[in-house]
Amino acid sequence: MFYIPVIVFFMLIAACRDDNKVDSEKPYIDISIAGAFPTNCDTIYFGETFLLKMAFSDNVELGAYSIDIHNNFDHHSHSTEVTECNTDPVKNPVNPYVFINDYAIPQGSKEYEINLPISIPEGNDAGLFDNGDYHFFISLTDKEGWSSQKGLSIKMLH
Amino acid sequence: MSKLVVLVLYMAFFYSLSFGQNYSVLKGIVVDENNQPLTGASILLNPIKTGMVTDINGQFVIDRLPKGSYIIDISFIGYKTHVDTILINKSISYKAQLEVANLSLHEVIVTDNYAENRKKEESLNVEIVNDTYLKQNLGGSLMNSLERLPGVTTIAIGSGQSKPVIRGLGFNRIVVVENNIKHEAQQWGTDHGLEIDQYAVDNIKVIKGPASLMYGSDAIGGVIDMKNRNLPTNNSFGGTLDLTGKTNNNLLGTSISLYGRKNWFFTNARATYINYADYKVPTDSVDIYSYRAALRNNYLRNTAGYEKNLHLTLGIIQNGFQSKLFVSTVNSKSGFFANAHGLEPRNVDAELHDQSNRDINYPYHNVNHLKVVNTTHYNWEHSKLEFDLGYQRNLRQEWSEYVSHGYMPPVFPGSLSFDPELEREFEKYVYSGNVKFSQQVNDKTDWMVGMNGELQDNKIDGRGFIIPEYNQFSLGAFVFAKYSFTERSRIQLGLRYDYGKIETSEYHDWFPSPVVENGSTSLQYLQRAGNIDRSFSNITWSLGYNYDLEHWSLKANIGKSFRIPIAKELAANGVNYHRFSYEVGNSDLSPEISYQLDLGVEYHSKQFAIGATPFLNYFSNYIYLNPSSEFDRLYGNGNQVFYYTESEVFRYGVEVHAHYKLLPNLQLGIISEYVYSEQLSGEKKGFTLPFSPPASIILNLRYQKRKMIFIENAYASFDYRITTLQNDIVPPEETTDGYQVVNLSFGGEIQFKNQKVNISMQVQNLLNTKYFNHTSYYRLINVPEPGRNFIVNVSVPFLGKI
Repeated sequence: MFYIPVIVFFMLIAACRDDNKVDSEKPYIDISIAGAFPTNCDTIYFGETFLLKMAFSDNVELGAYSIDIHNNFDHHSHSTEVTECNTDPVKNPVNPYVFINDYAIPQGSKEYEINLPISIPEGNDAGLFDNGDYHFFISLTDKEGWSSQKGLSIKMLH
Repeated sequence: MSKLVVLVLYMAFFYSLSFGQNYSVLKGIVVDENNQPLTGASILLNPIKTGMVTDINGQFVIDRLPKGSYIIDISFIGYKTHVDTILINKSISYKAQLEVANLSLHEVIVTDNYAENRKKEESLNVEIVNDTYLKQNLGGSLMNSLERLPGVTTIAIGSGQSKPVIRGLGFNRIVVVENNIKHEAQQWGTDHGLEIDQYAVDNIKVIKGPASLMYGSDAIGGVIDMKNRNLPTNNSFGGTLDLTGKTNNNLLGTSISLYGRKNWFFTNARATYINYADYKVPTDSVDIYSYRAALRNNYLRNTAGYEKNLHLTLGIIQNGFQSKLFVSTVNSKSGFFANAHGLEPRNVDAELHDQSNRDINYPYHNVNHLKVVNTTHYNWEHSKLEFDLGYQRNLRQEWSEYVSHGYMPPVFPGSLSFDPELEREFEKYVYSGNVKFSQQVNDKTDWMVGMNGELQDNKIDGRGFIIPEYNQFSLGAFVFAKYSFTERSRIQLGLRYDYGKIETSEYHDWFPSPVVENGSTSLQYLQRAGNIDRSFSNITWSLGYNYDLEHWSLKANIGKSFRIPIAKELAANGVNYHRFSYEVGNSDLSPEISYQLDLGVEYHSKQFAIGATPFLNYFSNYIYLNPSSEFDRLYGNGNQVFYYTESEVFRYGVEVHAHYKLLPNLQLGIISEYVYSEQLSGEKKGFTLPFSPPASIILNLRYQKRKMIFIENAYASFDYRITTLQNDIVPPEETTDGYQVVNLSFGGEIQFKNQKVNISMQVQNLLNTKYFNHTSYYRLINVPEPGRNFIVNVSVPFLGKI
């Protein structure tokens, strides 16, 4: 049939293609390890220090990670997790807590377990931070720039 | 009352060609009633199926004609097809007269011959389609309707908008030209669609491959060139009413055009209104990362939209002179899928969103594009002078509920100049102009010289920052020549010089961020962009060769193309909330340079045709948004940093098309495309490029009949599309499985007494297959492509005499 040359052409191209061994796998955030914190629906207390505990892994080499905590008083965002948490009624923020930080991972790590103490202050110049629903967002990269995210719904209370 | 189009074929002088005495040459010129050459008129000689298109001077030549009797068939939009029998026993001249088309523009069937012959003429690979093709393949947007063309794919944003991608290159690497003026909008954005009213387009040329020579910077990947060529016949008025309906997104659309001509004055007006609801996908939930967002009745929440467009054309036509003024305004508003704006799954007020499929809630975007274009040309016997002037204003706004990102205040302060819900606004003013002079020196040589200039003024507003305000100026001049060695072989070459300048303005955040310096924290309004002032210049060239035989046509083109870096690549410094990536420009980037070799081989006989258009392409510095492993806590709000970098890229690919006449009315066809890209250097060495389309093949069966019972020009077409999996990806893409989709289309013309009605129907995704399009805007959050969609377009032309 006349389309045989077409197919042959495609096969030739496919055959000529050198299969690149490039990294095409995303890193992985594991919050199911024993003692992992926080997980979805957990509570973090103002004025206390909590231990961030979770495991990261990648097929080649881990890059860096960042933590972002922001208020979810208007329920604008949803966790990436399947479990639903009980949320407080929608409210307007007065002095909500914001936390943004990024952290390095030792070079050459394929697996890395974080045990990072993070201190949460009671308040700032404007007074005490608002109680309520917050969103805890963890982002992890590997050396090639692949990334994984976890968005957790948490409560922050005094 | 010259109601007739006069076709004057003039006695051309012949020079005896070296081929044998058994062959003859037919030469002629086609002009309209005003003695203007008809450029692009299609000549077909049967039964040998040899075709030609008239050149800019309305002339054509058909060579290597064996002695015998032929049927000549000359067609042009707006004029009645002329058919005559001629006897050729020596090289002859031929005189004839054409009659005007006294029904409507749609009376004339523009044979595919026009396109076939234009394709032969160009040394680059081109596809040409007309409005009939568009109606038969009508999609949600112009690019969507063109997606079936080999080498053309799209980046779809919902059901009503899409971006052009040619052989895997898109965004600012594709130039869109409407009536000779480059369409300028926010084409750098992934969520930006093309502001073109597809009802108002009657002729589209798609150039596959770099065409900087004629189109300047940005045409490095290809060109979509649209022209409104239709000219009403003298002392007539008419119009068309189009009605469109689609079941998947409950779309209702109408477009009405009215045109008229009295002697030297003609006018054309069009109004288009399209309204569509949320579109349906063959799934009841979407997995945004591991969170499963439920969809109500398969509707993709908040993807409804509308489009309202107005066009007015005024024209003057005199002996050898034609001037047209086009004024158009294209307006659209459409929602984004409410459950995902950025990477985070979003809580939606399901009650609010699901109360109607037609309302548009936050987040949404609206676009207004105003265009005023004048095109003027003078024609002399062997030369032509063209002027184009254009003014455009593009306004694009993205709206969403105020959510503080990073260090933005949790409650929006009331004292700011912009609306808290206005996420981003881009406003662009563009002034452009072209001059072109072309001349036929003799039978063998044509040449052309031209200049293009453009000035842009870009403003921004809103709470989010991604690119600064900027001004841009570009000026280019080119010379192009075509020389025919023999009637069958010709060479084309061109040279171009470009100068470009871009100036960005500084930008400071409207909110303070806590900056830690020497152990103490202070609140600072961060500077996101500085004043960048760059200028660029470049020389590009192109060399092409065509060789035509009776059944074969061969073409080759090699050329250098370039692209000036855009403001986003030089000065981006902000979070892209659609991806939660922090994008950083590089003010030191150099112009992107690309070298490409294009080939085209085609064999055609009465029964069978096959063609292949392979290409090889090398970029010395492809500009690319490279995801790093870093995060930025201040400017980037803790998001992953993507840097604009340059890398060497090698690409190759091919489109193959073939058709075979199984029966007189039944044709089997194949359209396939493949492109491979690899980065040869830089941090992503070995990786492909973003948005690389997977290979695909369309197997087509088409039945066509001039008259079937009461239907004229009846057609029925069956497309079986096979797309392979795409596992050649770059971060943050996902591999996409292959898929198979069946599309049907059928229609024809029905005569109700004196009224003709054109009906085109389609069933897209006949089997309601759930599949993912690798280059869709919503691919990353696992939104499948639209489910089964019945599309009906009814077109009612009418005509009268003044």
